[in-house]
Amino acid sequence: MIYYITSILLVLIGMYAVLVKKNLIKIVIGLSIVDNGIHLLLIAIGYVKNGTAPIFSKAGLQPNQMVDPVPQALVLTAIVIGLAVTAVALSLIIRLYDHHKTLNINKIRKLKW
Amino acid sequence: MRKVIAILLLIIIGYYSIDTILKIPFGEGVKGVGKHYLESTIKETGAVNSVTAIVVSYRGFDTLGEVTVLFLAATGLGAILYDKKGKKRSLQNASLIVKTSSKIIYPLIALLGAYVFVHGHLTPGGGFQGGAIIATGVLLMFISYRSFETNHKALSIIESLAGMTFVTIGFAGLIYGTSFLQNILPFGIPGELFSAGIIPLIYVAVGFKVGAELTALLDNLLKTIK
Amino acid sequence: MSPVHFIAVPLFAAFLIPLIGKVSKELVKIIPGIVLLYLSYLSISLFPIGVNRPIVEIIAGFNPPFGITLYYGPIAAFLTTLITLVGFVIWLYSYKFIIREPTEKYYMLFMMLITGSTGIVLTGDIFNLFVFFEITSIAAYSLTAFLRDRDGAEAAFKYLLIGSFASTFFLLAIAIIYANIHTLNLADIASKIKDIPLTTRLFILILIIIGLGIESEMFPLNGWAPDAYSQAPSPVGAVFGGIVVKAAIYSLMRIIFLMFHTADVLHFLVVMGVITLLIAEMSAMKQQQIKRMLAFSSIGQMGLVIIAFGVGTEPSVRAAMFQMFNHALIKSLLFFAAGYLVFHSGSKKISALDGLGHDKPITSFFFAFGALAIIGLPPFSGFWSKLYILLSVADAGLMVPVVLILISSIIEAVYYLRVVSRLYFYKEEATDVRRTPVSGLVAMGILTVVILIVGFYPNLILHWMTPAANDLLDKAAYIKFGLFH
Repeated sequence: MIYYITSILLVLIGMYAVLVKKNLIKIVIGLSIVDNGIHLLLIAIGYVKNGTAPIFSKAGLQPNQMVDPVPQALVLTAIVIGLAVTAVALSLIIRLYDHHKTLNINKIRKLKW
Repeated sequence: MRKVIAILLLIIIGYYSIDTILKIPFGEGVKGVGKHYLESTIKETGAVNSVTAIVVSYRGFDTLGEVTVLFLAATGLGAILYDKKGKKRSLQNASLIVKTSSKIIYPLIALLGAYVFVHGHLTPGGGFQGGAIIATGVLLMFISYRSFETNHKALSIIESLAGMTFVTIGFAGLIYGTSFLQNILPFGIPGELFSAGIIPLIYVAVGFKVGAELTALLDNLLKTIK
Repeated sequence: MSPVHFIAVPLFAAFLIPLIGKVSKELVKIIPGIVLLYLSYLSISLFPIGVNRPIVEIIAGFNPPFGITLYYGPIAAFLTTLITLVGFVIWLYSYKFIIREPTEKYYMLFMMLITGSTGIVLTGDIFNLFVFFEITSIAAYSLTAFLRDRDGAEAAFKYLLIGSFASTFFLLAIAIIYANIHTLNLADIASKIKDIPLTTRLFILILIIIGLGIESEMFPLNGWAPDAYSQAPSPVGAVFGGIVVKAAIYSLMRIIFLMFHTADVLHFLVVMGVITLLIAEMSAMKQQQIKRMLAFSSIGQMGLVIIAFGVGTEPSVRAAMFQMFNHALIKSLLFFAAGYLVFHSGSKKISALDGLGHDKPITSFFFAFGALAIIGLPPFSGFWSKLYILLSVADAGLMVPVVLILISSIIEAVYYLRVVSRLYFYKEEATDVRRTPVSGLVAMGILTVVILIVGFYPNLILHWMTPAANDLLDKAAYIKFGLFH
């Protein structure tokens, strides 16, 4: 249970960083923390008590002694997607820094309603 | 003021999330599709690593999408940071200790990465993990040596060829079998290196692709000094 | 000839483009055109089969729910045909419009944006839906910043932040769904959704509405849209407004009608649709830049579509899809014309368009044509779809939305006709204007002809809307076809 609560806390901390912090890099780090929280939640959902990795490495290993492999596969994909978004975000930050010479998001807010 | 609103919003989201999450049982047995995957992975795919079987075979379409996402990120990054003038990575090399040891460790890291993605169907790991390890080795060299260059043309060719290999294997499943990405090669003996049909082939292609892509991505991100 | 070609062929072409780019730059520009032409042909030939009986294609040879499936039913057939045909026209327009380097990356991202939308429409698996959403989103973020100017990077960053929240909420919903019923196939989830306790179901619904609603531009989640539409290159704006948002709204409606089909949810959709429509149209009045105005107009039209879906009867769903079809064509035409008008006037402001009706008669004519069509005047196609929406909403007894829709139509007429009058009736400043390239004119011409044909013979399209509407509303049929393959 503690794993569920920790992962939700990670998500909330990350969201706090995205909503409140002013430095662009800190905002992207916050996004990364949110991603980590969700991935942790997914893996925790797949846990089985006293289970082992879902690999039939030794002869005689039964499926009912293993953890759920599906969340692990989902997290594999989700991690790569999180990486892709972070990469694009960082490249945008480089572009913004080139134009504005600052990393403060309040100074960059030009486009309004 | 903004902080207060943000914290209130987060408390509401957090309260409802935890309330919903705590209703999910923790640590119980595997049910539903997971159970089927565990029981039939050796029969239906020949791979010993159940997670690899799911990622490449049962949900291979998701992996194709994931490879595309990474490709798009590298392309998007190249488009956003496109600049004709040459740029440098840094103004000085790292210290002597770092330089010497990175020269020794780099081939070992590359070897480990290759081992991980070739044995994806037997041990934990696979294409993405192996490719990331190789890219980390290259990053080490980038940081240590100011003049370490990679051939971008070759990287782009490897990337494209590996991606096309993946889609071609999928189409081969459609032509020689009944559906896209079907496992048409013989399964072999579970636990051997040459087993599990197309799974090692796909993972090798993915390993090369991810390694080349992340290397090009890191190179683009590091070159910012005029 | 199977639905998987819609995804696999463009992927292969996208991987091929860097290799071809080393040999010849001109060949790179043609590849997306060939791919989209082939896909249009494929969608037209598969269309009658899909409408008759849904094609459920299994991937990797494992039956659902253990493998991923592509559900090519009537709606998917209709939307794929729309996406591929409109995509081809937008490619035609981009051929000479995009002159800024690196063009080969533009064509790769462009093709992937369209493929991602096609994947969203076709897939029958919820995690696969998430992956295709991410494909679309990342291509969209990169294309928004493609012009590498200051405002473009800012708009793209804002879009990225809000879009990441959307995918986080959606992934959280997927995690909770999996934790409760241990399956990821849409048809399987639909059949087992009753096993989830009520409060959990409500939480999942809220997460999904926020997650998918951000991409569907529902109020108040559409703050990113005006900036993204106006800063992206004009053909990309056409793709956003004509293709991406339709796929997003379809996926939201599909999930709601499959899993959360209650009167309260539909009522909520009507309310949100009305609020979106009114606020978007009123904001559009205040705009001084032409592409931002078009963006707000697009948001408003999508609000109209959401109202029609929310009413939930078969005539209203039919009208909603007809409106989606018309809006895709008309909004693309408007973005095309606006693209060249902005290019030649040198500024994004509406005031810079004064008198361009004399210097650029054909382009201005296309813009005026699109404006009249979107307001809903006969004999253009927009008239019929708006009429049917009003009739079906009134039939359901909801008179307040009918009045509000009429009010918003008047507001729409005001700000569009304002631009048209500035084009034609104001004094011109003598500037040196170049000719609009042929490919752009042909693209705009094709759209104009189709809008006119549908305006005179709306039953050509409406005929196919009935099986499509039934596809969306009939939950049992979806489960039967989706699982029983």
